[in-house]
Amino acid sequence: MVSLRVYILTRVLLTIPMVFILLSLVFFVMRILPGDPVIAIVGMKASPEHIERLRHELGLDKPLWRQYIDYIAMIMRGDLGRSMIWGKRPVSTEIWDRFPATLELTICAFTVSVLIGLVTGVFASTKPGTKADVGLRLFSIVAYSLFIPLLGMLLQFTLGVKLKLLPVAGRKSPLVQIDRITGLYLLDSLLTLNLVGFVDALRYLLLPSITLGVVLSGVYTRLVRSSMLEVLREDFIRALRARGIPEGQILLRHALKNAFIPVLTMMGLQFSLLLAGAILTETTFSWPGMGTFLLERIEYRDYTTVQGTIVFYALLVAMVSLIVDIIYAYIDPRIRY
Amino acid sequence: MRRGISKVVAVVAALVIIVAIVGIAYVYQARKAPAEKEVIVIGTTDRVTDLDPASAYDFFTWEVLSNIAEGFFKYEPMTLELKPALAESYEVQEGGKVWVLKLRKGLKFRDGTELTAEVVKWSIERVARIEGDPAWFVLDFVDKVEVVDKYTVKIVLQQPVAFFKAVLAVPTYFPISPKSYPADEISPDNTAGGIGPYYIERFVRDVELVLKANPNYYGEKPRTKTIIIKFYKDATALRLALEGGEIDVAWRTLNPSDIKDLAKNPDFTVVEGQGAYIRYIVLNGNIEPFNNKLVRQALAAALDRKKITEGVFLGTVSPLYSLVPAGMWSHIDAFKEKYGEGPNYELAKKLLAQAGYSETNKLKVELWYTPAHYGTTEADVAAAIKESWEKTGMIEVEIKSAEWSTYLELTRKKGLPITLYGWYPDYIDPDNFLYPFLHTDSNRWLGKPYSDPEMDKLLEEAQVAPDKATRTRLYEQVQRKLAEDAPIIPFLQGKLYVVCKKNVKGIVIDPYMLLRYWLIYKE
Repeated sequence: MVSLRVYILTRVLLTIPMVFILLSLVFFVMRILPGDPVIAIVGMKASPEHIERLRHELGLDKPLWRQYIDYIAMIMRGDLGRSMIWGKRPVSTEIWDRFPATLELTICAFTVSVLIGLVTGVFASTKPGTKADVGLRLFSIVAYSLFIPLLGMLLQFTLGVKLKLLPVAGRKSPLVQIDRITGLYLLDSLLTLNLVGFVDALRYLLLPSITLGVVLSGVYTRLVRSSMLEVLREDFIRALRARGIPEGQILLRHALKNAFIPVLTMMGLQFSLLLAGAILTETTFSWPGMGTFLLERIEYRDYTTVQGTIVFYALLVAMVSLIVDIIYAYIDPRIRY
Repeated sequence: MRRGISKVVAVVAALVIIVAIVGIAYVYQARKAPAEKEVIVIGTTDRVTDLDPASAYDFFTWEVLSNIAEGFFKYEPMTLELKPALAESYEVQEGGKVWVLKLRKGLKFRDGTELTAEVVKWSIERVARIEGDPAWFVLDFVDKVEVVDKYTVKIVLQQPVAFFKAVLAVPTYFPISPKSYPADEISPDNTAGGIGPYYIERFVRDVELVLKANPNYYGEKPRTKTIIIKFYKDATALRLALEGGEIDVAWRTLNPSDIKDLAKNPDFTVVEGQGAYIRYIVLNGNIEPFNNKLVRQALAAALDRKKITEGVFLGTVSPLYSLVPAGMWSHIDAFKEKYGEGPNYELAKKLLAQAGYSETNKLKVELWYTPAHYGTTEADVAAAIKESWEKTGMIEVEIKSAEWSTYLELTRKKGLPITLYGWYPDYIDPDNFLYPFLHTDSNRWLGKPYSDPEMDKLLEEAQVAPDKATRTRLYEQVQRKLAEDAPIIPFLQGKLYVVCKKNVKGIVIDPYMLLRYWLIYKE
């Protein structure tokens, strides 16, 4: 247990240089890119005097090294700064406004992908070489190579426009109000006992979650299948079968648990990828999350917002991977840190 | 066994009870939703930037502000006549230098503050103090604002301005309450608004904006109690939301092909109106060979506008032959008069030959565009221009692109040879379509592509000329000179489209361009 604590501490400490390097990279890359943020902000009609004044206000007239030191000092104080466009709102407020939407979509899509992956993977591993196995392996390849907007639009058109079963875009119906507590609509509506809000938010979540979930499930199908096949060949499984333990119990209680380690690694990686990779899904479904937001702000060269968001993501990814590592230790007692 | 069964029965019974309670609660909560006829949901791909008149300077935020606040004058629907709004009457003194506004009495903001001359003075001075993007509407014109009495305010200008009434109608001049807005800083998420037909009940950035009819509004009562704006990321999502029944009205901006498709669908109505939005080609006179008038004229003559308006935009825009849009007073088809409807290849070839070019010694030009800012059709627009110019056999066009912020920076700092730009007016007056482009002191934002003392003089005269007839004559001269010198070639005028459900009525689209939500209703 002591070694685990030391491990966690080391990992946390290592996060600091990682964030620092990443931040420095983003800081300089944003400034190397052509495009003046002030001109992008004020558009084409502003006078040169107005542009100069804004540049001064934003500190962009200072030497680059000075801007860098100022920014690092600000980050050290725990301040992500203010956006450079539209009212110059604090970056933390911008993130707080949008991150819950991405997190909610990520969790739901993640659940969908893991569920599909587990069910199909376990099923395929029990019938290796059969038509069902080949079919599922084919599904995993097709799913993974699907283009998110294409699948999204297909689902929007069939389930939304033609059958009118599910809403096609947005996070909730305009007539439904959900009071914000955490920003996660499903949770907020439950906390406020707003059933209409819950059902509504769930309906809006379904299409984007399924789209993103299906595309990412292919990886899990293959991984669970191969991992399960390996475990099912081991001696202890044969011993369990010899003892007459029901097959279902062997599969779920013994084989799956052992086959889970590589799946868990993939889950950790995928979760981080999902957070960043939801951009296409968010655009297709007009989901007001971080992906589209970050893209928009890069286009406007909103330096502080882009840098702040990257810092936030870096910390988040570091945290998720640390949690995954800790979970390993609990699932597999052989793992020692 | 009996225990097992009773356990199952108990679980099932508990589940049934829970489902029943949840079901009843759901039905009860769902019944509280407002009647469908009282709500209109409008979808858009635009966004709200700063809900503060001192900072807002974009099409859609101005539209929202125009529905939750009002200025001293407002445009009568379907005309370009300004009628009194918060100002009951006005008087112009000292040849257009002093504007005295008499306010309506007894008007109150949502926070209970009364509209007085003091509030007006505070609001206008606040814009100047904050120096946001639209502050030039005040700083470039106003010398001082004085309170004459409780309901009379005097605006003294730096010099007479013939079109100041139109400037006073822009949202930057909308009075707001000092109790609800900070005096020295932008309040980007402020939902207080001013005095208008609606007020904001709820605003969730990039998600929705809920407007309710203002019960204390002095003017025409809104026909629909609740207007909800839903924000979409792209035109496809907007179209699908309309077809899926989630919105009643699809506003800016659907793709041209979507508009054509939806027009065929019997469930929807397409409302079309002439917009004052224009697109144009800038030929930078500081760069060779565009300092040669013959070259500029040749390019103007060889432009095939129909290839763009019909080929790229499928007829959803109109060809334009002047910087002043069609439908606005003083507009003349100056380029058509000079070069014909176009493309006039014979004339273009003649001009190019005079400039020393031939089929073996071609005029080589770089045409720049920006891929996303003006919509997904922009690459096709550039390709259509290239094709029409190259049809002369004497021009070779190389197309280049840069994303918006780079494009702007290159235009301003480096100066690009040929660029494509678009313009939404700030105020509805021909001055706003000519002065910023053609006056030497004003076109720095385009990289100063053109400077001509005679043109400057005409524009300055037109700004202060007291009567419309004189101004019309001067602007006609300006447009003819523009066609002659051809530093800028206008090529299209946007039409505005709203696609709505069949039962939605009252949508007015005119050159003012901003939707008036208070006129829209469901049958």
